[in-house]
Amino acid sequence: METRFETIVIGGGVVGSGIAYHLSERYKGGVLVLDKKYPMTGTSGSTQAWVWVHNKTPSWYAEFNMYSAELYPYLSKKIGDVEYKRTGGLSPFFSEEDREKALKLAEAYRKIGIKIKVLSREEVLEKEPSMNPEVVGATYSSIDGNVNPFRLVDMYMRAAKKNGVHYSTYNKVTEIEKQDGKFTVVSDKETYLCKNLILAGGTWSRELGEMLGINIPVNQLRGQILVSEPLKPFLNHTISGLRQANNGEVLMGYSMEEKGFDRSTTLDVIQETANMALHYVPSLKKAKIVRAFSGIRAMPEDGYPIIGKVPGVENLYVAATHSGVTLSPLIGTLITELIMDGETSIPIDRYSISRFGVGVKG
Amino acid sequence: MDKSTIICRCEEISYEEIEEVIGNGARTFDDIKRLTRCGMGPCQAKICTSLVAKVIHAETGKPFHEIPLPRMRMPLSPIKLETLATSSTSFSTVKSVLDEVELEDGKVR
Repeated sequence: METRFETIVIGGGVVGSGIAYHLSERYKGGVLVLDKKYPMTGTSGSTQAWVWVHNKTPSWYAEFNMYSAELYPYLSKKIGDVEYKRTGGLSPFFSEEDREKALKLAEAYRKIGIKIKVLSREEVLEKEPSMNPEVVGATYSSIDGNVNPFRLVDMYMRAAKKNGVHYSTYNKVTEIEKQDGKFTVVSDKETYLCKNLILAGGTWSRELGEMLGINIPVNQLRGQILVSEPLKPFLNHTISGLRQANNGEVLMGYSMEEKGFDRSTTLDVIQETANMALHYVPSLKKAKIVRAFSGIRAMPEDGYPIIGKVPGVENLYVAATHSGVTLSPLIGTLITELIMDGETSIPIDRYSISRFGVGVKG
Repeated sequence: MDKSTIICRCEEISYEEIEEVIGNGARTFDDIKRLTRCGMGPCQAKICTSLVAKVIHAETGKPFHEIPLPRMRMPLSPIKLETLATSSTSFSTVKSVLDEVELEDGKVR
């Protein structure tokens, strides 16, 4: 196999494969994606995969997510059916206190042009008749939805390969060195040379950064999810906490635990998740649960994406974020612009790794 | 087994579909599962585990003892959601997204 590439992407998950695909649309230099296992073994394959804008704060960060959600309809036309559905997103609340908070959120968003509505109890029940009648209200955003994460990553990979991108899987990167303006990437199977290097290691970003002496402060945050048997279609929206997939199964969960890379599922969180699901949608009580699973979110230390050039190391780029499913079309577009044009169509300075201090250690 | 043999009965996945994703680099049961839904149905791979191992062996030549088993998860057999629920009304690990919206001086950040 070839060992010299113009660009290497480390990490073939939703972020890395999203970048590889978007690059392949414009870029004719050789691109190689390396993955330590097979893409989706980690975070990208263990998610509810909401395409989610609303409730994200501050409002400039919600705006960033909105731009990405807006790319989805076009993306699914380009790469094929990824079961993307713009269902609208609904976040129910059960106290008047939360209504105050919801109204403030709607006001903050209105200033930047994101429309969210604060629905009354009657409006919620009209939109989502299965919702617990004790609901007090909900925030509603029409741009939210969900996607099939397996189809999404697979279609990114297929489209990228069709455009000439190479993939090497089960090929862990063990060493990276920069010499004479080129990166040497040593992996289990081969040693590669490239001009541009993109680190898209998700939860493993820290250890990738360390190979180059760079601090990429990404932590792990576990989420546990329950999956039901296929049920007749009855949920109209992506509800923050549960959603129904195309095949009828309902995915439920919204939990957060700092457990490193431990992907266990635990009875206490399964029970709490069952309580949450029944609290929101009481008619689920007779639904059969077929599986629990857990996934590890990639969570940058301050909660916001780390995207862009790495100051001090020419031709090195980083893309590490949570909400990778929502953000992958935008991140793919932006990194492609950085490499092809040297600048991006929307400002991304806020997301630079430089906010954590000097990029290169020592 | 021929190309049209159904390997996963729950999701109706054929030999041919599994062969294709192995051609694309899938190596384990769980790789194949994520790409085809093989083993994701009600039986949770109880029926297709050894059949898939045979396909992996036939297509890659990997010895059976090196083919990892699928990851089994609770509840192992389908169980009603209400059976998993408890009488507790408080939440700690499970959040509502509005909990995450932070107010600063009475305003959303």
